[in-house]
Amino acid sequence: MEAVIDVRGVEKVYKGRVHALRGVDLRVGSGEIFGLLGPNGAGKSTLVKVLLTVIRASKCDGTLLGSKVGDKSRLREVGYLPEHHNFPKYLTSRQLLRHFGAMSGVDRPTRNRKADELLELVGMRDWANSKLGSYSKGMRQRVGLAQALMNDPKLVILDEPTDGVDPIGRKDIREILVRLKDEGRTVFLNSHLLSELEMVCDRVAIMVHGLMRQQGTIEELTDGQSGFAVRATAPISDEVRAQISSKLIGIDPIATDDPAELVFATGDAVQVQPVIDTLRANGLAIHQFGFRRPSLEELFVKAVQEQPDGARPGARREQKGARR
Amino acid sequence: MIIMQTKAIFVDAYRELNAKKLFWLSLALSMIMVLLLAMIGYDDDGVHFLWMNIGFLPIRPDMISKEFFYLNILFTSLGIKLWLTWVISILALVSTASIIPDLIASGTIETTLSKPISRSRLFLTKYSTGLLFVGLQVGAFSIGSFLAIGVRSGVWEPGIFLAIPIVLAFFSFLFSVSATIGMLTKAAMPALLLTCLLWSVIFLMNMADGTLLMFKINSQILIEQREERIEMIKSNTTRLIRSERNRDEPGSGDGYQPTEQEIAERNQFLPQIIEGLENDRSDLKQLTFWHDLVFGMKTVLPKTGETTDLLARYLVDPSKFPERQDEFEESEDPNTFTINQAETEQRMQEVLNNRSLTWILGTSFLFEGVLLSFCLWRFNRRDF
Repeated sequence: MEAVIDVRGVEKVYKGRVHALRGVDLRVGSGEIFGLLGPNGAGKSTLVKVLLTVIRASKCDGTLLGSKVGDKSRLREVGYLPEHHNFPKYLTSRQLLRHFGAMSGVDRPTRNRKADELLELVGMRDWANSKLGSYSKGMRQRVGLAQALMNDPKLVILDEPTDGVDPIGRKDIREILVRLKDEGRTVFLNSHLLSELEMVCDRVAIMVHGLMRQQGTIEELTDGQSGFAVRATAPISDEVRAQISSKLIGIDPIATDDPAELVFATGDAVQVQPVIDTLRANGLAIHQFGFRRPSLEELFVKAVQEQPDGARPGARREQKGARR
Repeated sequence: MIIMQTKAIFVDAYRELNAKKLFWLSLALSMIMVLLLAMIGYDDDGVHFLWMNIGFLPIRPDMISKEFFYLNILFTSLGIKLWLTWVISILALVSTASIIPDLIASGTIETTLSKPISRSRLFLTKYSTGLLFVGLQVGAFSIGSFLAIGVRSGVWEPGIFLAIPIVLAFFSFLFSVSATIGMLTKAAMPALLLTCLLWSVIFLMNMADGTLLMFKINSQILIEQREERIEMIKSNTTRLIRSERNRDEPGSGDGYQPTEQEIAERNQFLPQIIEGLENDRSDLKQLTFWHDLVFGMKTVLPKTGETTDLLARYLVDPSKFPERQDEFEESEDPNTFTINQAETEQRMQEVLNNRSLTWILGTSFLFEGVLLSFCLWRFNRRDF
């Protein structure tokens, strides 16, 4: 798959020697929806801003849409919705879209047509001539999304696109993202809403303290952590566990915190039947049985809780201070 | 694409102005000023407001020409130097102080910088839009004044439109300060207040320059008068001594050159005049030092006053300037010296008019250029 974003060793050190990015490698393929996760202060927005020339990286090798990162002319093919955007309140949404269309080099007839099409797409056509100052946060977010699409971008970068949007609006936005993907565009999402990312993303990356901790499809990330789980009504003793281990040769157990639960890395239910038999034989009733894959949230929490070497908690606070 | 982006930024700036009541209020007030100018007439009977003769203004076309009255007094002094470069400029500074802080505000700058436009071009275009407020105001005022003066007096002077670049240059000097402070502080209020502070400093420097120049010229006039008087006394006394010597011994006085002591013995005022001359020379030396110091300080600052004075310099033919006819009588007392204020003003005007365009505009644009270069450097290096 052709890479739309391909960067290696991206570093950003703010004044005061705060490492916002500590050598990030990232590859986003063409036509996919890519989700970047991370806690506050992880460096997600900094990474996006480096790609968009809003922040100058201390070190950055790689390309954006085939050109060296920092090539302004390439931004003509990129749409961007920042996290805490603050569009001029004196403009109507139609004027805003036309303005940013012109800033991206879209010719007048196209931007006039496109503005109306996109306002229709995000459900804001009826508000086209109202000033942004009168909009709710969700409405501004919808217009912001339309703004990011004005130049028919090959790459759309959205920072918290569903922030402040109601559930119906979120569903609408998810549908738009899928539609963008179907049109062959690449969508890069920065979001805290893991369940939503899980629904639409082809691949995700988890970033913690300026480092990329994991990257891949959700299946790849959960590989080795998915399997059949058997939960008894009471804690399972070591003796019973030993009996089970002797019967399940070649199937790896997956660690779990629940003393009444056993998880095995297999997708075949038949292979786990001896576990149920053994538990019953030892007088334990089965409370739950089924295939389980960790959610994105569980992956995320796990990745965040594993402190990388050299990472310093509270980097965000220092980082914000350095920006002042 | 460059034209498209530049146009988009200017259209956006116009919409921002359009949304501000202050802009329309200023424009309405400017049009009222034009109407007031149109109501003022000037003919053989003197100055009129509508149909009423303003008797307390004792001026007539034989004293002050129509061109001078309309172009210099009404348009330049009242319209430009008072209205546009004070009232409207203050309103413009208030209105535009937020342009650069708004440009670099979090939530705004990210979207703008993610577009295919270089930071330098973005900043310079945005900076230029800051001049739009004053540009539209002075443009509308100049057109209105051109029509009003033309219809009212028959003086159709296209030179009136010289006010547009002059006032724009004047405002750009101040706006560069506002933009720089806005870039550093990211806030409109410090930008406005510190710009007004610098403007006040420039105003005080202009006052100091004018006052010191006046004292210096007065001192020069006094020195010239005393030197002339000394020369005259010496000449008269020499003539007297020669005639006395010829009377006592015919032919002995011809070509005789009396000593200073002989001359001083014959004229009781001479030592006092010479002492006064020494004092005046000492004063002039002091004044020259301080004036040069102020002048030097002004050189590195924008010349706001001199820039707007350029309009009067180029708009009205100096031959149309009224001649000052102050009543002035030289004192009979040989040790008393009086300064003719008209002469002082005339000499001051000559000095001011001799200040070159390079000094007035060149150094001011250099000041603006230095500030803009700093802003560009800062804007290009900054992370947002």
